[in-house]
Amino acid sequence: MDRRNFLKISAVGSATVALDACGKPEHQLIRFIPEEELIPGIAQWKPGVCTQCAAGCGLQVRVMEGEAEVTRHGQVGLLSMGLAKKLEGNPAHPVNRGKLCAWGQAGLQVTYNPDRVRFPIRRTGPRGSGEYQEIGWEEAIKELASRLSSLKPGGKALPLAFLTEPLRDHRGVLIGRFLSALGAPPAVKFEFFEQTVLRRANELSFGHQQLPTFDLANANYVICFGADFLGTWNSPVAQNLGYGTMRQGRPGQRGKLVQVEARMSQTGANADEWVYAKPGTEGLLALGLAHVILKENLRPAGAAGEAGDRIDGWSRGLPDHTPEAVAKSTGAEAARIQRLAREMAEHAPAVVLIGGAPLAQTNGLSNALAVNALNALLGSVGKPGGVSFTPQPPMPDLDVPKEGASVRALCEGILAGSAPVEALLVYNANPVFATPPAWRVQEALEKVAFIASFGSFVDETSILADLILPDHSYLESWVDSIPESGTTEAVASLAPPAMNPLHHTRAMPDVLLEAAHQVGGGVGKALPWKTYQEMLQAAFESLRSHPGSVSAKTPDDFWSEVQAKGGWWSGEAAKSAAVVAAKPSAAPATVTEPQFDGAVQEYPFNFLPYASLQFGDGRHANLPWMQEMPDTISTAMWSTWVEINPQTAERMGIRQGDLLEVASQHGKLQAPALIAPGIAPDVVAMPVGQGHENYGRYASHRGANPIKILGPQSEAETGALAWASTRVKITRTGKKGKLILFGGGLREWPREYRRR
Amino acid sequence: MVIDEDRCTGCEACVAACHAENNIATVGDDQAARGRAMHWIRVERYYEGDFPNIKVKYRPVPCQQCSDAPCEPVCPTYASYHNPEGLNAQIYNRCIGTRYCANACPYLVRFFNFFNPVWDKPLDLQFNPDVSVRSVGIMEKCTFCIQRIKAAEIKAQAEKRPLKDGEFNPACVQSCPAEAMVFGDLNDPESKVSRLSRSNRGSTLLSELGTHPKVTYLKRDTWHNGQNA
Repeated sequence: MDRRNFLKISAVGSATVALDACGKPEHQLIRFIPEEELIPGIAQWKPGVCTQCAAGCGLQVRVMEGEAEVTRHGQVGLLSMGLAKKLEGNPAHPVNRGKLCAWGQAGLQVTYNPDRVRFPIRRTGPRGSGEYQEIGWEEAIKELASRLSSLKPGGKALPLAFLTEPLRDHRGVLIGRFLSALGAPPAVKFEFFEQTVLRRANELSFGHQQLPTFDLANANYVICFGADFLGTWNSPVAQNLGYGTMRQGRPGQRGKLVQVEARMSQTGANADEWVYAKPGTEGLLALGLAHVILKENLRPAGAAGEAGDRIDGWSRGLPDHTPEAVAKSTGAEAARIQRLAREMAEHAPAVVLIGGAPLAQTNGLSNALAVNALNALLGSVGKPGGVSFTPQPPMPDLDVPKEGASVRALCEGILAGSAPVEALLVYNANPVFATPPAWRVQEALEKVAFIASFGSFVDETSILADLILPDHSYLESWVDSIPESGTTEAVASLAPPAMNPLHHTRAMPDVLLEAAHQVGGGVGKALPWKTYQEMLQAAFESLRSHPGSVSAKTPDDFWSEVQAKGGWWSGEAAKSAAVVAAKPSAAPATVTEPQFDGAVQEYPFNFLPYASLQFGDGRHANLPWMQEMPDTISTAMWSTWVEINPQTAERMGIRQGDLLEVASQHGKLQAPALIAPGIAPDVVAMPVGQGHENYGRYASHRGANPIKILGPQSEAETGALAWASTRVKITRTGKKGKLILFGGGLREWPREYRRR
Repeated sequence: MVIDEDRCTGCEACVAACHAENNIATVGDDQAARGRAMHWIRVERYYEGDFPNIKVKYRPVPCQQCSDAPCEPVCPTYASYHNPEGLNAQIYNRCIGTRYCANACPYLVRFFNFFNPVWDKPLDLQFNPDVSVRSVGIMEKCTFCIQRIKAAEIKAQAEKRPLKDGEFNPACVQSCPAEAMVFGDLNDPESKVSRLSRSNRGSTLLSELGTHPKVTYLKRDTWHNGQNA
């Protein structure tokens, strides 16, 4: 017996001892046999799929042998296993081409987070108390299945709701099938920075209910309305790559970036020209640009096609949107509007982006339609250097799953008693944290008799759960992803587990499948697969007959090749699929002025929450790397802050770090002031993500949550939350807040203050 | 190394990648408030002008790996020394924590461990086994990911071939989504990094100090009707 075999056997031995108390030791043991291919000190690179945001970047996971201390039923054992040590981008992946953002880099801390739920738990104390008791998986799944079987359809649909983050993979397909087999309504999808408005606009203008993809690498002129596309919006890594090429990747040629917004974002800071526009008037500004282009015959009006027909007055040359009129309503100078319009018409290919705050206004849809029309007028739709739509891989069942109700409608139904919910399943969605108080989400969820969560962490929503069935992390489970945007190829990413599970967790899809089989009947039949792996294999097999990055003769070869490469992509072959189809006519939209929540006299500031570079919508706040990573504009760590214009601050006697009270009609919060030169005098901004009450040791009770003072106003056409339409007032508390700046404060400021 | 400020978008991917690669401790809010946070690479942000005519510039700053490094001669124990390849190396087990080097460094890229780092279990499983974990009283800094350099050299040696340009990259360069950073052999005039470092946009930080940094910054370009400046 050589040394390696001896170590292997002793590791198995210790695992056996450690796992003695488990229900079926042979099941447990198999997971802990040291992996053959691992040689101590030698790294293995395994494919992965990043799930830190919806972009769906491909990963390479560096796996090395290590010793993990794990607890099973109160017994501690030291297990030799392959551990993920570093995440890099997959160089072959069409979305991120070997690159990775900060969230992606911090993905290791999801798997190794000390606050993960390590085994199934049942609530023992009152809701919200956080008192739990460990239970076994058999018992947990049995309870879930019996709860589901006992639900009786009260005339209409089954009183069951599935609340999930928007999933663009086969987990979403599985949930959809599961619910329809049970006779329950479709899943309720929730994320705070939802993209409903933009998808709807793209459907109306271009016939694609999808997020757009921008060919920045070939663009010569980019005007972006509000979208933080280099930071947090859409597919940031792909957009950064394209942007880098636009700037310095083409010898002798350099594209221009113009950013239009009310608060300088990380993207705005990179712009060659930064244009201030009053919040919510972005669509008017886009029409002002279109007016100049039409009037000066730089492009024919018909060039905009269907997208132009969506705008009232387009065929008449937008007579109401002269530069002077638009200047008055937006705050941008008329001469500048004229110059920008000429520049963008002269420097083809030009492309226009819109996202973030301009869509989260009451007039959000019309803003997006105006920008779409401008893009079409410039001839940039479906062209190199323009905007296109990522083709979808030819897989069955993948057609966009039916839109479920919104969280708002779900909660209204529960509270009014019109659509009672007796059982609620929650997966990676945290609406209790990320909804305005007027939606009364917590109150509604507390009325639900049974809540089960599949979350890896106890957060503000899952703390209400009666049963938590913790999911594996994305490095421990089968992952797939179908990117909605960020590439011109059809992509289906796939990765087997990069490492064995660290804790006594189970993959959500597998739990759902087992529960479905226990419920039996039609539900079991609708989900014929034993495991999620089987389901994925069947789904990917349908790609084998199509030309793409993987070609193999037999299903087994294809399946192992797809796993090895980290997915399947169509290559250049399917690029033509991105050609844009027209949509049958709908009534043209009038771009209107936005409506705000709160009177100007009492609430003088527009309140602008924005996606934090560190925490996104708050889901990354439990990662210590993200907490300590300095925010790129403020250099703040472990903090929240209110950004305020220097002149406004001077007028109100506010100094950097002063604790301010920010109050709207719907609530108030306290946060330290950050004097930010790039924000309009009548706007204050706050990053979303801090202010958690229950989200582990790193995030809980830190900073303030701006979502909790937002009004319930919604976008007029789509009903999406207009999160940028609240007005606030600001008062000094006389105290100092906790503002931790890596940059040691904005050192250049005090001197400039004195000069003024 | 060459860092192109015209490409850098300030996304901080380099900062996170560096933490993950080099086992850099997170110190927590109280220590961070005392200025003890450790970031071997940081993204500096510079404002110009008043609202609404604001211009901002980002500049990622790792150790500049000076050819004439002020941190080296001040070390009484030769912990900070110039390695044969020209890197400012830090030998942790020589360091006695006088912090002279950090005082001497004009770029503020040296960080001191005021406490033993704390990793709430199982966060310690994320450690890169190729990089030692520093303890209290030790000065640490950017190494240009020397563990990756060594690994690539050993591999090339075993395969009896010279290192290829761009064969490997430090963690920050590998992750950079806008491809703003380029790493390579400055001694090879044909390497990509050498060619870029001779760009007319190039300069080094605080060059008047005579430290001769090995990081060249390419300044933010301006737009002239679609042409490069």
